[in-house]
Amino acid sequence: MAAAMAESDNNGSEVSPGGGGRDSASAAAAVASPVKAKARALLELETASAAAAASESSEARVDDGNIQEAESSLREGLSLNYEEARALLGRLEYQRGNVEAALRVFDGIDLQAAIQRFQPSLSEKPPSKRSNKLRSDSSNSGSQHAASLVLEAIYLKSMSLQKLGKAVEAAQQCRSVLDAVESIFQRGIPDVMVEQKLQETVSKSVELLPELWKQAGAYQEALASYRRALLSQWNLDDDCCTRIQKRFAVFLLYGGVEASPPSLASQTEGSYVPKNNLEEAILLLMIILKKWYLGKTHWDPSVMEHLTFALSLCGQTSVLAKHLEEVLPGIYPRTGRWYSLALCNYAASHNEAALNLLRKLLNKNESPGDIMALLLAAKLCSSDYSLASEGVEYARRAVTNVDSSDGHLKSAALHFLGSCLAKKSRIATSDHQRSLLQTESLKSLSEAISLDRHNPDLIYDMGIEYAEQRNMQAALKCAKEFIDATGGSVSKGWRLLSLVLSAQQRYSEAEVVTDAALDETTKWEQGPLLRIKAKLKVAQSLPMEAVEAYRALLALVQAQRKAYGTVKNGTEEVDNKVSEFEVWQGLANLYASLSYWRDAEICLQKAKALKSFSAITLHAEGYTREVREQTQDALAAYFNAVSTEVEHVPSKVSIGALLSKQGPKYLPVARSFLSDALRHEPTNRMAWFYLGKVHKHDGRLADAADCFQAASMLEESDPIESFRSL
Amino acid sequence: MTSDASPQPIQSAKSAVESLAAVLGAALPGTLASADDPANALLHDAGVARAVVGRLRREGSGAGNDGLCRWLYDAFQSNLPEIQLAVLRFVPALAGVYMSRAVSRKPLAGFEAVLLALYAHAAAQRGSGEAETVSLPNLANPSVYHDAKVPPKTKAAELDVAVLSPALEPHGTMRATRRARIVGAVLELYHGKLAIMPLSSKMEFCEFCVAWTGNRSKLDDKPRVAAASEPAAAEEKLRRVPLPWELFQPVLRIVAHCLLGPTNSDELKTQATRAAECMYWRAAETMDARSVLATRSLVRLSQMTEEPIPEPSFSGAVETNMAELEAMRANILSNKN
Repeated sequence: MAAAMAESDNNGSEVSPGGGGRDSASAAAAVASPVKAKARALLELETASAAAAASESSEARVDDGNIQEAESSLREGLSLNYEEARALLGRLEYQRGNVEAALRVFDGIDLQAAIQRFQPSLSEKPPSKRSNKLRSDSSNSGSQHAASLVLEAIYLKSMSLQKLGKAVEAAQQCRSVLDAVESIFQRGIPDVMVEQKLQETVSKSVELLPELWKQAGAYQEALASYRRALLSQWNLDDDCCTRIQKRFAVFLLYGGVEASPPSLASQTEGSYVPKNNLEEAILLLMIILKKWYLGKTHWDPSVMEHLTFALSLCGQTSVLAKHLEEVLPGIYPRTGRWYSLALCNYAASHNEAALNLLRKLLNKNESPGDIMALLLAAKLCSSDYSLASEGVEYARRAVTNVDSSDGHLKSAALHFLGSCLAKKSRIATSDHQRSLLQTESLKSLSEAISLDRHNPDLIYDMGIEYAEQRNMQAALKCAKEFIDATGGSVSKGWRLLSLVLSAQQRYSEAEVVTDAALDETTKWEQGPLLRIKAKLKVAQSLPMEAVEAYRALLALVQAQRKAYGTVKNGTEEVDNKVSEFEVWQGLANLYASLSYWRDAEICLQKAKALKSFSAITLHAEGYTREVREQTQDALAAYFNAVSTEVEHVPSKVSIGALLSKQGPKYLPVARSFLSDALRHEPTNRMAWFYLGKVHKHDGRLADAADCFQAASMLEESDPIESFRSL
Repeated sequence: MTSDASPQPIQSAKSAVESLAAVLGAALPGTLASADDPANALLHDAGVARAVVGRLRREGSGAGNDGLCRWLYDAFQSNLPEIQLAVLRFVPALAGVYMSRAVSRKPLAGFEAVLLALYAHAAAQRGSGEAETVSLPNLANPSVYHDAKVPPKTKAAELDVAVLSPALEPHGTMRATRRARIVGAVLELYHGKLAIMPLSSKMEFCEFCVAWTGNRSKLDDKPRVAAASEPAAAEEKLRRVPLPWELFQPVLRIVAHCLLGPTNSDELKTQATRAAECMYWRAAETMDARSVLATRSLVRLSQMTEEPIPEPSFSGAVETNMAELEAMRANILSNKN
């Protein structure tokens, strides 16, 4: 046995490459052999002791093994392996910062030859005999150690090349480490029996390779190496794996590289396979967060920010809200979390949930002066009449709390304040209060504009407010300014201008504007403009052209319905849509005004088929009865309309008007209906007109004169369509 | 008179260079004609960029008879990928100047022809303009990157499908109300090629982005030095433009690349940070929640430091072998392997 071992050692020496260097190394080793041999013997003895402790051999057998191993190590100490020597020396140079020297040392290592020598023993199955098993385990451990040294050397070579600015070569060296590892462990790195140092080198190489490719500008290779890192079995620990996943997600999100989907070979039945960059990035970020929830990795604030960016891009803020809610307490201050959740809910049109979160945030015991939250709350309230009052308060607090040097935010706060005041004025309970609110609204908007002169949205909202207050000259100026400021690219600007001109009874000019707007708008979005055009024809008493305009509108609306079907992703804005119902309703009104009863009935039936119980439809039915002097049927229809929609102003006006003709005893009821209508819609000129009649019949001539004057003034500034339709 | 002759169709990088020289004349660097790789020079040469961008930004450019716009149009329609890349390189300047001027309603038929050609290409790339959608994963089910504890359900759970970019309808003319959508789609086309765009193109984009938002940033709180901020006399001032979501989103994605992408340029990151801040305040102005969320995250990410790749760690064991290693070192290095 001893002779056989000696012979094996000799064979190894004979096949070593690098003759010249080898001889020098051997000579050097010979000179230092006593110290080297002693150190190695001690190392081997420790290994043998550990192995012996783990085995169930008899005590006598253990003693024999120790002696034999000591002998073996003494023999081996006489000649150091070539690659190992290079590896150790190179590492020493690298540690000292001598990168170029390290590179020269590493260059002498032939990785392929080294790997070939390691491969059989590392992958060989241990024999069944106990004595052989002991020796085999020991040998395996030694081979792993040697492999670890050589692989680490190539890894350090890669690092050296990187530090010298040679990213491509560095990447190639790093890849050769991984290729070598894969050829050694052909079924992936096992969870056990792997030397710690070897695993460390593997993990670092796996993590380093994609970064090197990125530095080299080879993005497709970087992509492939990230996937290789995550999809092959490298036995990475959670932190290392998480770092790779995050960097990969960042690369996918921001790299500007269009990646092909992961290979289907990695797919298992029912697995989710991302098909584009964003999907893959979102998947990785979600996995990282899940690891954190499970306590496998530390909190990294950038992960949530990347996920926020990714989900906001595709409008999935509801999903983002869920992830924010899952974050454990202690990471985010609760007011910060509430604000983020409010943004998510608002973006997903969950306005009530958003506002409730903001109410908690802005509570006097939390952060009542949070500017951004106050602005968001004011914005939310500005879209709902019933919340306008609350919105005014938030906006006022924002104006008060904003840093006086920050003109931009102050302008935004004043803008929201003006909008909320305008909304509040629409539901004011008295003329005095309404007037006060409207004045204050214009004041806020004016002040906002003085701080931010080039904000078109402010100009537009100011124009709307002037129009609602029937200051048509100022509204006209704002409308033109808005169109100029936006280059005619915002449809509502054209519509505002057209409606203002119609309010000034400049119908032909309004038509010119509408036609210009139609030229600047794609077919699909022309609905609201065609509706305005139709109503302009009606106002100009051009019924046949009006019918043609309505038919064009109907054709468009029906084409849209067929194209979109049930709208799943509402990419089209709601206010850009015209419903088929209102087209039929418009035609019905037109035919009724022309006394074409049969046609009017047909259109009404079509409208009813689309919306069974509608105040508008019932009111139209009442009108057709009224003009044919079927008074009781007309009143019944009008009352049904008011029952359907309590605040339906046209029906109240019609009831008041009709009752006022039925004799003195009905005047008080008529007056009540008309006053109620005016409370909701103070600019309804017909309501003023009929109220004047009521006053006249009752003998209150002064009041009657006031009402007639109001009606007359409003007639001079009545748009063909409410400004609220914008 | 010879300049009025109809231009020859562009069939190669060389002919592209020749026709560009005919348009720009002396402004074009002389080295371009003799470049080994003309297409690469068109994409990367700083002199070419200065000449083309300078011309695009000059007052009065972009009209129907603009020779440079004609060249950009013809170069892109050549269908040579490397030439098309060179045209895309100028998208920031083209879109940037166009949007600022479109607000003033000046004649811009030249710019519009190029943008519409790029738009048509973007639509064709998406198979007759289909929407780009995103299916979100459900981590309760397994994926390529993770296993789920629960066995897969018999019926695959319906995935949330979100629209990343809506469908692109065909557009033969530039209508005002579709301007943002068309330019947005062109920017998406540019975004897809960002990895191979030169740094100067991205720098230009960030500059235009700042102008589009109305130049609002915390950095602007202090009064600016007028001389430094004024554009060159021949160039028009850039103007604030409307930023609906269909334009805001592709702009944001490009800024995000400039800020967080693999380009290692501090100068670009600085400019991108400024652009991100300007976009954040623009979003805050109207409290558009989606825009606020996305831009706020970008601004926060710009303030976070990247976690470094772990350096190799060394155990102390190497010390015990110091003497032998020193001796070996002397021998090996003396042989100069």
